[in-house]
Amino acid sequence: MRPALERLRLIERHLLGRPTPVEAAQWQLQLLTDPELAPDAATQQHLYHALHEAGRQQLRQELEQIHRRYERQTRRRGWVQAATDHLRQLLKRPRF
Amino acid sequence: MDTSATLRQALLTDREHTLTLIYHRTFPLVRRYVQQQGGSAQDAKDVFQDALVIFYEKAVAESFVLSSSVSTYLLGISRNLWRRELSRRQQLPATSLREEHTQEVAEEAEPGTDGREALAVLDYVERLGARCKDMLLAFYYFQQPLEQIAGALKYGSIRSATVQKFKCLERLRKSVRAAVAESVAH
Repeated sequence: MRPALERLRLIERHLLGRPTPVEAAQWQLQLLTDPELAPDAATQQHLYHALHEAGRQQLRQELEQIHRRYERQTRRRGWVQAATDHLRQLLKRPRF
Repeated sequence: MDTSATLRQALLTDREHTLTLIYHRTFPLVRRYVQQQGGSAQDAKDVFQDALVIFYEKAVAESFVLSSSVSTYLLGISRNLWRRELSRRQQLPATSLREEHTQEVAEEAEPGTDGREALAVLDYVERLGARCKDMLLAFYYFQQPLEQIAGALKYGSIRSATVQKFKCLERLRKSVRAAVAESVAH
């Protein structure tokens, strides 16, 4: 990967991964030698929050679609039930 | 494989089908509870969907352990959300459920997130294009493994999917930075 993408990966590992104590110590050292690292990490954290929020919105849209299908099925079942109730009553009547 | 791992796997590999099954099984229970407690069918739907969002985010984490059935677990979350909503309404009777409640769910699922800042970046996520957006959301929110994402989006290997993921993230970062620079300049 090109260096810019490697940098994103490095920051991601620090923010989302489980860095070992050695990696955590290296990160602290890099923060001292690279003044752009802290603001870059803050920006990337910000992007992850936004992606989390966008994911939640998508999940809500999917749930809304599931709900609409659920309602349609329930209504259809109710209609079939009502339509066949009369028939059931007729079949239940005692035969003479 | 234990129940939690099976559930996690089902959510990751076939989210729509798994959530549909859970929805059909559990929503009637939640609706009955909310309506018995003075809520409407719409309230029940809102509470249940918020509970499902919390449930999804917890269930796809590897550390998640399900100690009861999915329905019992979801009913428990829904009850808590509805009780909280009822007490909120007693204090602020004129506000709607939707907007206030969404913020509470956000706080419960991820404390400390600055929702307003994230919302400002949401537009840029939308503008990424469907392929990049799908890739980033599948990985960072829906927690799907890269192997699965590579297959679904027709990448030749996990490595090429990884590179593409970081390219998409870079595009998002660039567009956000450009917008910030522009707003500072004005």
